Formats: sequence, C-alpha cells, structure tokens
Amino acid sequence: MVGWQIFSRVSPSYDRPSIWSLTGVVVALFLLGPFIALFVVGAGDSGGLWPHLMETVFPRYVANTLGLMAGVALLSLFFGISTAWVVARCKFPGANFLEWCLILPATVPAYIIGYTYTDFLEYAGPVQVVLRDIFGWQSARDYWFPEIRSMGGAIVVMSAVLYPYIYLLARTAFRLTPLSYYHAASLHNRNFYLSVDLPLARPAIVAGLALVLMEVISDFGTVEYFAIETITLGIFNVWLGMNNLVAAAQIAIFAFIFILGLLFIERRARARQRFSGGIQNIARIPLRETRAWLACLCILICLVPLSLGFILPVGILLSFVIEGISMSRAGVLFNSAINSLTVAALAALFVAVISSIMVLTTSYKNHPILKFLSSVSSAGYAFPGVVLAIGVVSFSGVIENFLGGFIEAKFRIGLESFLIGGTSLLIFGYVIRFLAIGHGSMQSGVSRISPNIMNASFVLGHNFSRTMFRLGPPLFRNSLLVAGLLVFVDVMKELPITLLLRPFNFETLSTLVYQFAKDELIEQAAPAALIIVLVGLIPVIIMNASQRR
Amino acid sequence: MKKFVIFLILGFCTTVHSFSALSSVLNVYSHRQPFLIDPFLKAFEQATGTKVNVVFADKGLVQRLRAEGVRSPADVILTVDIARLSAYVDNGLFAKIFSPKLNQNIPSHLRDDGGRWFGLSLRARVVAIARGRVKSDEIKRIEDLAKPQWKGRICTRPGSHVYNRALLASIIAANGEEAAEVWATGLVRNLARRPQGNDRAQAKAIYQGICDVAIMNSYYFGYMKNSDKAEQKKWADALEIVFTNQGDRGNHVNISGGGIAKYSRNKKLAVKFLEFLSENQAQKLFGRINYELPVNPEADAATNVKMWAKFKRDDQSINKIADLTPLAQKIIDRVGW
Repeated sequence: MVGWQIFSRVSPSYDRPSIWSLTGVVVALFLLGPFIALFVVGAGDSGGLWPHLMETVFPRYVANTLGLMAGVALLSLFFGISTAWVVARCKFPGANFLEWCLILPATVPAYIIGYTYTDFLEYAGPVQVVLRDIFGWQSARDYWFPEIRSMGGAIVVMSAVLYPYIYLLARTAFRLTPLSYYHAASLHNRNFYLSVDLPLARPAIVAGLALVLMEVISDFGTVEYFAIETITLGIFNVWLGMNNLVAAAQIAIFAFIFILGLLFIERRARARQRFSGGIQNIARIPLRETRAWLACLCILICLVPLSLGFILPVGILLSFVIEGISMSRAGVLFNSAINSLTVAALAALFVAVISSIMVLTTSYKNHPILKFLSSVSSAGYAFPGVVLAIGVVSFSGVIENFLGGFIEAKFRIGLESFLIGGTSLLIFGYVIRFLAIGHGSMQSGVSRISPNIMNASFVLGHNFSRTMFRLGPPLFRNSLLVAGLLVFVDVMKELPITLLLRPFNFETLSTLVYQFAKDELIEQAAPAALIIVLVGLIPVIIMNASQRR
Repeated sequence: MKKFVIFLILGFCTTVHSFSALSSVLNVYSHRQPFLIDPFLKAFEQATGTKVNVVFADKGLVQRLRAEGVRSPADVILTVDIARLSAYVDNGLFAKIFSPKLNQNIPSHLRDDGGRWFGLSLRARVVAIARGRVKSDEIKRIEDLAKPQWKGRICTRPGSHVYNRALLASIIAANGEEAAEVWATGLVRNLARRPQGNDRAQAKAIYQGICDVAIMNSYYFGYMKNSDKAEQKKWADALEIVFTNQGDRGNHVNISGGGIAKYSRNKKLAVKFLEFLSENQAQKLFGRINYELPVNPEADAATNVKMWAKFKRDDQSINKIADLTPLAQKIIDRVGW
C-alpha cells in the first residue's frame, strides 16, 4: 500500500510501569530539578520592579526578541531546507563534498562569528578599505554602508551558524522518504516535491527550527556585542545591573513558558498527522539529473550559507593566527582541547542514551506523565546558559547539603563540596542544556518509522526491552548520530555553563577563547577558536563515514 | 565496606575536583580573566611556595558560592567593578577581615568599612576626544557631554554596561537623581549612533570620523597605544584623553578588588594573598599588565601608566556608588541609553 498512512497512536496495551518508564520518570525528575530551583528563585519578591520594566524596557525586549526570532527563523529555514533538499534530491558536481561541508558552520561559535564579521565589515576592515580605494571616498560620511552591529546583522550572523540544525534534520528526513511515495505521486500526477516531500519532512524541519529558535532566545554573546536589547540581554541588566536575581529569573521563566507554548502549539497542529512508510520502502529516490545551469544554481545554493557561516569567518580567524602565530601556548591549547573533547564526547553519549530512553518509552508506551515530563525537561535550551547554570548549582547545592549533612553526621567527617566544581555536574549541566537536541532528533526519527514495525516485534513475542534493543539501534542510528554530532559541537562551543560549573584550573577551548574575546582581543582568541572548529570536524567526519556505509 | 562505597561515589562525583585541605593551597574564584591574574598568582606562588587554584567565570559565581555554602572550597574572590563586590556583601559571602597592612596600603574610601572587601587597582572612566576636531579645553566636566553643542558627535557603549552604570551612579551621587536623569537624556540626544560595541570600538569610531567624543576606560587607551598592531596605534593616535571634573570633584574611578570567602578554611593564607596584592610589587604589575592605576598611594605606577597617573580622582565612597547602581540602571532604562 502506498500513499499517506495516518496511524492512530500505538495501542496502549504496554503501559504498565516498567523499568523503562521508571528510569524515564526518575531521570526526567532529576533533569527538572534545576528548573524547579529557578522557579523557586523566581517565586521570590522582585521588589516592585515590574511596573518600571513594563513602562520602560520590557516591551522593547519582547519586540526585539520576536523580530530576531522571526528573522532568524525565515533565513535559517531558507538556508536549511534549500541546502538539504538540493543535496538529497539533485545530482551535481561536488554534491558529496558540499553535503558534509554544509554541517561545518555548526562548529563555529556564534560569539566568534559576530566579532570576525565586525572586524571584516566595519570602517577599518578590508571591505570598506577596498571600497574607499576604488571610489575615492575620504571618510565614513561620504558613503552609506550597512551597519553590521544591527538587527539585520544579527539575523544574518545567527542564521549562518544555526541553519545546520535544520539542514541536518531535514536532510535525514528527505533521505528517508519512501520511494513508493514518489511513485504514487508520479502516478497521480502531483508535484512530488511540494505536495509530498516537504510535508513529510515537516516534523524534522520543525524540530530543527525549534532548536534554532531556542538558541536565538537564549543567546547572550551575539546580542550583547550587537547591542540588540532582547529578553536575554534584559535578564542580565536586571540581574547584574539592578542586583535583582528574582526579577531576572521571572523574565527567564516567561521566556521559557513562551517557548513551551510555541512547541505545544506546533505539536497540536500536527497531532493528527503521522506519516510513516514500511522499512522495506527505504529505497533511495533517484536523484534528479540537472542541466548545467541548474547544477550551478545548486552549487550556489550550498555555497552561500557555507561561505557566510564557515569559509569567511574561519578564513578571518586563520589570517589572525597566521599573522601572529606563537607556539608558546601550545601546551595549554593541547590540554584544553583534551578537556573539551572529553566533556563533549561524554555529554553527547549521555544525551543520546537519555533521549533514546525517553523518546522510545513515550512513543511506544502510553505514559502521559512521562510524556509531559520529558517534553518539559527537554526545553532547557530555552533558558540562557548562565541562568540554567544557576539553576543547576542551586539544585545541586540542595542535594549536596542533604547528602553531605547525612554523611558528615554518620561518619563524623568534614566534607568539601563534592558535586559543585566536579566534572559530573558539568556533564549534568550540558545534558540539561542540550537534551532538546537529542529529543528533537529522536522524535523526528520515531515519527518516520511505522509503529507497525514495533508492533510486529511485540506480536512475535518479544518484550519491550528486547524489541528496543534489537530494533532501536538499526532504526534510529541516523537520528542518534545527528543528535550526538550536534551535541558534541555544541558542547565544544558552550560557554556559560562551562565557565560557572567547571572545576579549578579546568580550561576548555571555549573558556580559553572567551577570556580574550571578552575584551575583543580577537587575535589572541583566534588559535583556540580555530581548534574548536578543527576538533568539531572529527565527529562530522565520523558521521559521514558511518552514513556512507 | 559501606564507607568505601560512599567514598567511591564521592570520588566519582568529583573526578577532577581537587580536595584542598592542604594549607599551602589557595583557591581563588575570579571574575577577572586568567591572563590578567596569572602573573600575580605566579608571583605569589614563587614568593610563598603556595599552589594557587583558579576558577574564572564572569557571571554567577555569587550563586555558586552560595549554593556551596559551608562546604565551599573557595578562599579568595577577585572581581572587577564595585557592584559585583557588593553582591557578595549583600549575600553575606565575605568574611570580615582585620589586617593593619591592608588598612594601611588601601585608602579608606576604596575599601569596605567592615573589612569585607578591598580595592586593589583603579581604572578611570575618561572622555576621549578627536585630536584636531575637538580642542582639549572644550570639555572640562563629564556634565558637559549633555550640552547641545555635542549633538550627533558622541559615541558610547550601551548604558547598561557596568562601567557606564557606575559612571551614572557617580553622577547621581554628585548631583542627585533628577539632574543625573537630565544629563543622561541630554547625552542620549547627543549620540552619533546607537550605543554599541565596547570601549575600543568607540575609539575606532572616533578614528573613523563617526563621532568626535567618546567615553572610555583609561586602560583601553593604554592597550591601543602600546599595541603591536599598527592600526590600533592609529586609533589611539587619533584621540586625546580628557580627565574630567579636575576643577571640582575629580574624575570618576572604579576599582578591581577582592575579599575573603566566609567559609574559607585558609583565611590566614587568603589575607596574606590580599596583602601581597596591595604591596608595591603587585601594584606595579596591575599597571604593567592591564594599564591600571595602583590603589596604594605609596606604590609607584608602572612606567606605562605614569603619564596619566596624576589626576584628581573623585573620592566618592565606592560603597555609595554600589548602592546607587540599581537606580542608575533604572534611569538608563528610562532614557534608553
């Protein structure tokens, strides 16, 4: 049978509490701890600050945030979908190479790209110098040049490094569209690409978009540098400027609920749509043969976001490094790279495991509580990193106090902090922050697989665990790889959680970059920034090799 | 066995966490970047044989220290800007210290009356003017920046940055809230462009001819002037530094400072460290590394900051400025700086 299959939810006959749902609930509750800690902070007295905020800056924060979100959404959707579609459907020279290159912008930290672009495009930068030379302009007052530190600049810069979320998930989805649907559309004389291909990829595209938007709403580095007064910038002004963590937490919670609302609305909108093909149908749809000019267009479509998000900024970084190369810090760089690699790999592994448990259990067992918990716990991405980090330290402070007090009384010893300042808490922080990525990727993977496959296994007498262990890895390998890759490169770049939760003398590449970038000493920051990008290539290469197999 | 298991679990949790019960280890939480404090730590390590551990984070250390509570391993906290110091005071996270040496080395308006924090270096918030386009006597007071003659000629970073907030707080302290708001409104009216970038970017803007006047921290000028990049030198050469209010209260200054964690198990060593930072050798280092000025009147400024070490400073109590920052932020919100 071909065509769209609309399935009802899997029958709820497997919803007895099991080790799966139990693990899911316990883990979700742990992950919710820091959110609860933030809600407790936010429940305090904000000292009557709200009337002032509403009267002065808050409407501006909201408007700017919405504007930025809308702009980045449009541009990154355009970049992400067009590139994913082109590499998944068209045949053109260099397609294989471009396909993996298109992920590269994800390895470039947004705060770095902001600096490099400003350096490149401002008055004293090479672009304007050349323009002045050509046209003989004498000063900035002689001509108009777009201001890079502006809303438009922020939209371009952020879209250029965030589109890979959409690209990766959409590409995986396009690849999985069953060949039979393609034939069916041809038989019915329908435009396959518009009426089948895109709608089928919608869950994946939306999952990617949700990640992009959460990243936008929680970004601090870029908006601070570009002086765009978003909600997150407001949180910092209220927290550090007015010494009012309570009101700051309230604003953060407001943003968090807003994001949850968006996710909920979207999920409702496609609640009744569930498209999945049988596994036997995953034969690749034949690539479109393209004429020369179309092939050029395809290459152009890929090159534009790639240049904006990778070639240009990395080229600028490289020029800094070549200009001022010094090997004196090689030892520090090496140690930091090892630290970064270790925590990023561990975090990616944990996110992959935890999101699999949660998504598989919620998808194939009808468990309303777990379902709710797991969606909420994966929205940590919507909090600005440092706010989340504060939630994590506050929560672990409570646990540490409880456990520490117990142990101290029992064994009559004095303890130092054993959770806070340890690497496990750092990993925990990363998992909370980036679980959304694992969730989004797994969820869109699950939505593409017919529940009949799982049902068949149940019918054949395999229990839930056996089914998941046997069928999960082969069915969701790509989704897990995508999730692992994105989490890995995100942890490599991650800054506020690493800064606040790390142990003594623990430098990662991103903390090295930041200590210089904070003072706009971009030249000194360049070597470590470049290594972040280089190390980020490792999982990209591994994933490509594994997907090619 | 049970004990063993518990310690195993604790060991797992901490992994890289260093237990520092040894008295010759000092744990520092720092809001200043490692490359700015490493030379001090190295000098201290050499002088005393102490091992110094550091965590640098510019935001949230107050909350981390609070969550750790009595088990916190931190001994010393180093910060920049007075508002951050007072956040520790507000949360009761600093120990009260009595050290005759600190009291002698640091003037009383640059430390807490209760001995909870101590200023360690000074930075002046100065006005930079475009060489050749603005005469050096055209701006004498920070208040002058609100005059209509500067319309469309001033650049600053956003008002809500700590440095501008503290500057506005100093103006509130001197002239009152109402006058300060009138000043801020006038300043915003005079801006050549939307507030953006950091202090260095303002210097660049003067060099580019976008504006003629900017507000900046003195050490940025030092950085650019002594940069090994030819173009940064050009930016510095395009401007002149004006110390404001020399005929009245003096130029606004802010501090970097430190205090001792309330639950430090190593208070003696921690005090020794702060004392070390207030002495001649370290005070000179502040200038050499970051173009900052010494707080210790007896200490010599490093040669690279000597040229502007002598100016009249606003001796407004730093505590007072910290108290006024939330109000300053409100004004900034209202006038849209």
